[in-house]
Amino acid sequence: MAVVSTDVTTPDTAPPVRRGPWRVLSLVLAGFVALSGVRFFTGEATLTASGTVSAALLLAVPIAMAALGGLWAERAGVINIGLEGMMIFGTWFGAAGAYFTGNPWVGLLTGILGGVFGGALHALATVTFGVDHIVSGVAINILALGSMRYLAISFFETEPGGGAATSPPLPGFPRITVPGLSELFVSIESRGWLIVSDLAGVLAGLTTQVSVVTVLAVLLISLSFYILWRTPFGLRLRSVGENPSAAESLGVKVYTFKYAALLVSGGLAGLGGVFLAMVASSAYQEGQTGGRGYIGLAAMIFGNWRPGGLAMGAGLFGYTDALQLRGTGTGVHALLLLVTLGLLLATVWQTVRGRYALAGVLLVAAVLVALWYINTDSLPRQFVTYTPHITTLLVLSLASQRLRPPAAVGVQWRRGQAT
Amino acid sequence: MTKLASVAMAGALVMAAAACGGGEGGGTEGGGDGAARVGLAYDIGGRGDRSFNDAAYRGLEQVAEELDLEVQDLAAEADETDADKVARLQLMAEEGYNPIIAVGFAYSGAVAQVAAEYPDVQFAIVDDEANDLPNLTNLVFAEEQASFLAGAAAALATEEDHIGFVGGVENPLIQKFEAGYVAGAQHINPDIQIDIAYITQPPDFTGFTDPARGQAAAQGQYDAGADVVYHAAGASGNGVIDAAVANEQLVIGVDSDQYLTADPEEQPYILTSAVKLVDTAVFEFVQGAVNGTAEGGTVRFDLANEGVGYSRSNTELIGEYEEQLDELQQQIIDGEIEVPTEP
Repeated sequence: MAVVSTDVTTPDTAPPVRRGPWRVLSLVLAGFVALSGVRFFTGEATLTASGTVSAALLLAVPIAMAALGGLWAERAGVINIGLEGMMIFGTWFGAAGAYFTGNPWVGLLTGILGGVFGGALHALATVTFGVDHIVSGVAINILALGSMRYLAISFFETEPGGGAATSPPLPGFPRITVPGLSELFVSIESRGWLIVSDLAGVLAGLTTQVSVVTVLAVLLISLSFYILWRTPFGLRLRSVGENPSAAESLGVKVYTFKYAALLVSGGLAGLGGVFLAMVASSAYQEGQTGGRGYIGLAAMIFGNWRPGGLAMGAGLFGYTDALQLRGTGTGVHALLLLVTLGLLLATVWQTVRGRYALAGVLLVAAVLVALWYINTDSLPRQFVTYTPHITTLLVLSLASQRLRPPAAVGVQWRRGQAT
Repeated sequence: MTKLASVAMAGALVMAAAACGGGEGGGTEGGGDGAARVGLAYDIGGRGDRSFNDAAYRGLEQVAEELDLEVQDLAAEADETDADKVARLQLMAEEGYNPIIAVGFAYSGAVAQVAAEYPDVQFAIVDDEANDLPNLTNLVFAEEQASFLAGAAAALATEEDHIGFVGGVENPLIQKFEAGYVAGAQHINPDIQIDIAYITQPPDFTGFTDPARGQAAAQGQYDAGADVVYHAAGASGNGVIDAAVANEQLVIGVDSDQYLTADPEEQPYILTSAVKLVDTAVFEFVQGAVNGTAEGGTVRFDLANEGVGYSRSNTELIGEYEEQLDELQQQIIDGEIEVPTEP
């Protein structure tokens, strides 16, 4: 990572052909149909129930916001391990703003500003002083944990219901239920029809009691795509992450763009923190981020450094986490059938491509998982807890062989070094 | 030059973190010149969990007021190592605190080491009896007995014959709660359906500090048809209570009487709490230590000596079951009912 290439090199391999959104969409659709089939044949209604979808959304949004923060930073060439710390800033400052004014929107603003503060620290360290990105990020995580404890003692401990590690209960954000549609979907969901009811279950989850912050988060993902890929500002920002020297030679103010990217990155992570403290729960609690910043980074890599991909990564993690948390190892057990199906499809695909050895391995794996499914009724809790992590690993290793990070990510680039 | 700046920057950040990371709790001056100074170290979650750690704090407050001693509490960090715990206890011993109380099984290894290093200081640990040292008192509770009554209360109150349990971390301590709860519910209704969920598995202890996932777990059980959920999840339990209020269903609190710490709009949904009088245990231990009567070994708090029990604050809900629950309580005390400690 310390090796800095000063000349403009051509990539070893040509960039992958851009796959249209239709291909991704059809893959998602195929996955959904398979899931619906599994639900239909196993009778595990929880797989596509509206409650599961609601819970998945609540668990996915903080991860998605951290991932989006990571995307902004890394697209500008800065690794942001400090996302976890920036989320912690977001939880505390969001809680403080909301509690002391009694207005959740003020909390949203202060929480985002708390994250921006973390982003500014990271920018100061990595861009201005050229500190190693990982070192600075880890330092921010440690700093956030300690300093928020300090502030919690100073501000929350004396308040009723508060403590050194907890804020008093906080005001919540309004929730939206689409009138008419929500009831319609719920009634279709309860019929148990193949695919139709599953779709209704998902839609019911998306139209019932959805927090406005969730809507904001979804808008921010789309907005990030638009800004980064459809505006001159975004093009320059990404050029800074791909080849800062070339960008500089064309007159792009590299430092300014890196600063901007990191401030946005911190703000998004802060928003994720606010969501955790005020939407997914109702108070600041020390340690409540629980490593979601790191999971967000993983979701970003999973999504190949693109907004749509990271949303899918966060969604997958949130969904499997919701499934396992909502109890009954049987729901996760039914997923084994889905894994079998996926492995069989991969076997066929690899056979068609002539990779017989790999196909053989996949086939053996498929048979083993199928046997596991048939011979058990549910899975041990010790295993079920790690469903999200295992799923992410599986999908990453099976499907994502073509990840391409921004070329200059993690490079300690100094102004004028190319000349 | 750049290198130097970067090293200085990283150094400054880490130093700042270390300076802030001490996590000092509020020291309460209690007068007492030259008298004993009492130190207390919290488990993760810390003060303000409205549950376990807060119960310990109430004991400490009582010590400061009634015994007029100087007290000091130090909170633990999330994700800290055993070495941090050792350092915290050593710091208090060095500073002359005596007695010192470690709250939570997580201190088991640390307190054994530090108690051996400071034989003149009296130590106590709450929720652990792994060590046997002359200057270490193990304060343990029969959580399964209180949980048995919680389970019985849940089985009496449920209309769907379907109840739930949300544990923070699936370790032997929390399994004691589960075992007692299940036994109590089945004692009332052998066919009752009980959903069991744990938020995390050891060694991942974030299950005690993650209300968002506590909420998701409880919501799942309410969606599945449960109408009473009991939690043993520390600060994550606040998420379980949130879910209960959102669904207008019942919830059973743990360790502290959570009816008393809840908001007025939450109170109607808190059926009862399986209380564990950590405050009494802390107070009695300090009293003994100051009088020189504290001994090494294990002190057990159960229904018989009123060290555990169920709360009756929500008279509207629990009132009609009190008679039955008190009868069960007496049967446990008399040994007619044996409560299991493992699921």
